Amino acid sequence: MKRVFQHPPEPLTGKKYWRSLGEYSNTPEFREWLEREFPAGASELEENDWSRRDFMKLMGASMALAGIGLTSCRRPEMHLVPFTKSAEWTIPGKFLYYATAMPRRTGAIPLIATTVDGRPIKLEGNPHHPASSGGTDVFAQASILDLYDPTRSRRFVNHGKESARAEFDAYVDKLRGQFGSGDGLAFLVEEVHSPTRERLRTELEKAFPKMTWCVYEPAMSDAQNYATHVSFGENVRLIPRFDRADVVLALDSDFLDCGEGDLAAAQGFTARRRVKSASDAMNRLYVVENRFTITGAMADHRLRLPASQIPIFTYLLAGKIGALTKDSGLVSLLGTLTTPSATSEFNEQWLSELANDLVAKSGSSIVLAGQQQPVVVQLLAYAINSTLKNIGRTIVIREFPRNRNNKSILQLADRMSGGEIKQLFIFGGDPVYNAPRAVAQDPDKKVPVDWTELQKKVPDVVRLGYHEDETSAISQWHAPMAHYLETWGDALAADGSYLSIQPMILPLFGGLSEIELLNALLGRPKVEGPEFIQETFRATRPPGDFQTAWSKFLHDGFAGHVALHDRPAAFNAAAAGGPAKQLWSATSLPTAESPEIVFVRSYAMDDGRYSNNGWLQEMPDPITKLTWDNGAMMSPNFAASLGVVTGDLVQIAIAEAAHDANDQPIQRELVLAAIVSPGHAENSVTISLGYGRPIAGRGPLPYAGDSAADNPPTGDVPGFNAYFLRTAANPHFVVADGKTIESIKVSKVGKKYPLSITQDHWSIEGRGLVREAKLDEYREDNNFVEKCAGIDEPQKYLPSLYAHPPLTGEQQWGMVVDLNVCTGCSACVIACQAENNVPVVGKLQVSHGRAMHWIRIDRYFASAKKFDEDNGEFPQDPEVVHQPMMCQHCENAPCETVCPVNATIHSEDGLNVMAYNRCVGTRYCANNCPFKVRRFNFFDYNQRPVGKKKIAGQFGIYQEYIAPFTEKGAPDVTKLQKNPNVTVRMRGVMEKCTFCVQRIEEAKIATHARVGATGGDLRIPRDSFTSACAQACPHEAITFGDIKDPESKVSKLKAADRNYRLLDYLNIKARTSYLARLRNPNPKMPDAANIAVACPEAKA
Amino acid sequence: MANFFPRWTNWLPLQMAVASILIVCGLTAATWYYVTPKYTKVGYQPIQPVPFPHDIHVTQLGMDCRYCHSFVEMAAHSNVPNTQLCMNCHSQVQKDNPKLEPVRQSWKDGRPIDWVWIHRLPDYVFYNHAAHVNRGISCASCHGQINHMPVVYDAKPMSMAWCLECHRHPENFLRPEDQITNLDWKPEDVNPAEFVAKYGQPQGVAEDWSKKKHLTQAEIGQTLKERWNITTSENCQTCHR
Repeated sequence: MKRVFQHPPEPLTGKKYWRSLGEYSNTPEFREWLEREFPAGASELEENDWSRRDFMKLMGASMALAGIGLTSCRRPEMHLVPFTKSAEWTIPGKFLYYATAMPRRTGAIPLIATTVDGRPIKLEGNPHHPASSGGTDVFAQASILDLYDPTRSRRFVNHGKESARAEFDAYVDKLRGQFGSGDGLAFLVEEVHSPTRERLRTELEKAFPKMTWCVYEPAMSDAQNYATHVSFGENVRLIPRFDRADVVLALDSDFLDCGEGDLAAAQGFTARRRVKSASDAMNRLYVVENRFTITGAMADHRLRLPASQIPIFTYLLAGKIGALTKDSGLVSLLGTLTTPSATSEFNEQWLSELANDLVAKSGSSIVLAGQQQPVVVQLLAYAINSTLKNIGRTIVIREFPRNRNNKSILQLADRMSGGEIKQLFIFGGDPVYNAPRAVAQDPDKKVPVDWTELQKKVPDVVRLGYHEDETSAISQWHAPMAHYLETWGDALAADGSYLSIQPMILPLFGGLSEIELLNALLGRPKVEGPEFIQETFRATRPPGDFQTAWSKFLHDGFAGHVALHDRPAAFNAAAAGGPAKQLWSATSLPTAESPEIVFVRSYAMDDGRYSNNGWLQEMPDPITKLTWDNGAMMSPNFAASLGVVTGDLVQIAIAEAAHDANDQPIQRELVLAAIVSPGHAENSVTISLGYGRPIAGRGPLPYAGDSAADNPPTGDVPGFNAYFLRTAANPHFVVADGKTIESIKVSKVGKKYPLSITQDHWSIEGRGLVREAKLDEYREDNNFVEKCAGIDEPQKYLPSLYAHPPLTGEQQWGMVVDLNVCTGCSACVIACQAENNVPVVGKLQVSHGRAMHWIRIDRYFASAKKFDEDNGEFPQDPEVVHQPMMCQHCENAPCETVCPVNATIHSEDGLNVMAYNRCVGTRYCANNCPFKVRRFNFFDYNQRPVGKKKIAGQFGIYQEYIAPFTEKGAPDVTKLQKNPNVTVRMRGVMEKCTFCVQRIEEAKIATHARVGATGGDLRIPRDSFTSACAQACPHEAITFGDIKDPESKVSKLKAADRNYRLLDYLNIKARTSYLARLRNPNPKMPDAANIAVACPEAKA
Repeated sequence: MANFFPRWTNWLPLQMAVASILIVCGLTAATWYYVTPKYTKVGYQPIQPVPFPHDIHVTQLGMDCRYCHSFVEMAAHSNVPNTQLCMNCHSQVQKDNPKLEPVRQSWKDGRPIDWVWIHRLPDYVFYNHAAHVNRGISCASCHGQINHMPVVYDAKPMSMAWCLECHRHPENFLRPEDQITNLDWKPEDVNPAEFVAKYGQPQGVAEDWSKKKHLTQAEIGQTLKERWNITTSENCQTCHR
């Protein structure tokens, strides 16, 4: 008789966890995703015109053809090619590790690069430096793919025609003669914090004293720098020390976003959430923001507030704190500001309890304002911190060199507009794409002009660029730029320490570094070695012998002898008053008729610089789970008022007060897809920057779903370019204030746009997968994880019908994921992709549910009420929980019992292993996997350009579908990145997380080889290696190791009371377990009751 | 009515049946023999750019394998020596031998020599030399008597079944760690008294092996297997990752 399994019932009361509004309201579309092994159509070729039958016919024909052409049965002759001379340290096939660093605008990240046979293949954080502590972020992980980008610039271009290095050198030489005193010379560079670049720049300034040096970063704001400068003096940077903070308030500050580059700060925060036992303390996070950010998802209390209302909120909060502390500095600063009119919108109790909590934790709290907030908010935040005596304790004032001659892009644009600039050097960046619109005033016509026109006014523009992009197209000369893994360099980390950058490989396409070009401009002979860096390093006065110190610098990746200097904590309230008074403006609450538009950097594309990185394009956004695109994020209510759902196109029209050359009011418009985003502030629209960037050489992307006629005008470029709306006057958010902006309209277009959103992919029914509690509840009941719906009685496992292999290995592998510190940043996803040769499948394939990521991060919204109780209303203030999900390596694995060819079996050390060469692709295993973590290679993603070209347009047939007739082979350069220890899988095989079996075997073999014939202990030393995801995670949320060894890290975590296994009642004995999420709400807050309702059944 | 079919056709079905049985058996036998690595791989002996005679270098001159294949104990790959290493000697020995012209040419212009790959495993097999040569498996177990080959050929089938022969019964192949690169080693070479003194003998063996005249491979292998705790794995992940 067939046994009908009784799953524990879903709780009727309490919290519900849901991934999408579709799941929340249980739409048929969602049921489809939930109930199928693979989504509808995933196993079909293309939804129209092209059935499996047709495919069989065609394959039959091609087989016949192949038979006729059976010509080469001979063994292919392959060669072993040794070096001619031995290369230092190189052992063929063995990994070598070098310290280096990735320059970033907020400060470089120290890295360890893995190279094999002379090519770098993987990047890890440098565990010896606190700016990384071994962790990395998505961009550091993905930057290895940028190195091997086949569309990289490979040539020197003069006026659109290919040229050569020698001609370029001659041109630069000639140009140098025209500099004079440098009054026509300008540089537009990106922020990289390189002391050597800074040194060469100062030397250039000596030679050409009147030159202009402009640093532009689209995702950085000058407001924070200016406020810091006013309040704390020159050449300083504030270093938040979250590890010392009990209470954190983030005002539109996404400080947990590691993509911003400050890993150490985020690590300090999560260190205070690593709860080992119920007696441990935990910090508390308040977040005020307009959209869900990674930081907002971690919040204990979150307030949805339009970005333009943050100044008023800060003002009111400062008032409350001023009243509580009677601090004269704060009160006097507030006194200079006029009281905003509309203050009734804020929950009084929320504000005052927040103020009470902050004041109670004076000296161990932090108030952080996001850098996109205006100067006044920054000043108020500093004043509050000063009042709370946080400066010097939780906020350290660190000396950080900043050249006062740096000009902003607006100042440069002004000079260009005046025709003063004759020679312009653009290093990196892409100002045509990302410079603010209306960047300057035309001096004659008095109308705003854009960068493109300004650049055309400059007679000589030299572009050093990584791609031949739009900026290169209108530059006189374009030179290819070297990747940071190809050049010598140096950089400062976010905390100010001095890092080395050493090349892992010679420039693949003959690229130049900024330093080389600056050297050429100084008229000095070409230098290819590290001499420049050595000179800068010598100036730091390393102790002892120089050669030894230099070698140590390269070996360690940082200079330990360079001391960091902190300044005394002195907030200059008097100096802050003036600018505050001058810059203070309070805008009224945005309405549905006049919403605000907020621009944020993308979690995947940053400011657009990674837009040709397939890994990042395909990485689901941590919050929206959108791939390959951006969109207009808006709240469900606002979307309902527009009558749109996710995927509908909306038009945003911003009418400015300024007039154009024809004396018409300037109207900026953008049509883009709406994304209905729970937890978003009302009447606010958030658009990620960094999309819609055209890059030469990139193939078109096929769109999923609707026909080409419905596609918006963005063509073949993924996403929508929000820079079109972003002006110099309003770079971070736009509100119709009646002064510069007349009106903002958002309206429905009436067409749909195909978005590839993975939030419903691989959905699992609510079976207590996510478990969370308030800290207080956890202290009352340490075993709350055991008391989830239906599982509170003692486990009675049904016997397994199958024989399972004995787990006799000396070491048994297991994993623990701590949900309490996982921020959902997705560094693990990209690290896994880099380590395990996981292919990119393209937007079309993702929409079919064929994304290949071995680790996915399930993002759950949580809300207190069920859909039907809400009368159709969507929850307004959900919480977010992230849950990384990969193969759980069940001891009684359901996938193994259904494989007809034994392609997936169990090893004696507890791994569920895949033998790819045995797999015949029945996909039964995926069907039987309760976690839906198995991925099937529907196409030769590694062999063929997937979805690149339609070869039979009217049938909707893409290249990859007709294997024998279409071109084969990936670009050679992308093959260089592949990990040689992992099989590159082919079409028709199943794959999934292997617990990085190649690392396990590598460690095992190393131990065996070391022990050799001595008869010693053959166990791999405790915690001496880890999986790629665990290594990359900046927060150590993932721990991997030997669960048989009671002293290993993973065993200790598994012994914790928050530890639980998913679907344990199925008797599958998963090797991966989770530590339940905790939240630490303030019981006095008005919304405290609804936060983190633990295990509903237990409470009900 | 005349007979439609001539008389001999009476036997046709039987002939056809016999013939088809023979053909099927023949095909099976042929496939069995020819379409296996034992036939397709063993004996593969391509022409190398330089006819490097292992017999002269190893047997006559007494060079150790590890002089040229220097990383075999450290890495998964056993490296093929580079030109520089050849020139260590051949810049002085056999300076004008025309057979060595490619080596001299390579040394001059810096272009490496393209040796033809003989012992090649499929891409999905991750064999590791270090794991074997450090644990009592000799070069000869997989590569045969290379020390007597004037031109190297593939001596073993290198199929999965062949790998498993050893992974199931390693005692048939283990030898003392100092004899790994001695390709002429035979179990009879072992002095039982010295061997037992050094490695002991397996538990549960009552007989004193040190008194024996010779030790067999099985006895040596069993001793070393226990002594070194050799646990060969038959798991997929051991070779396929």
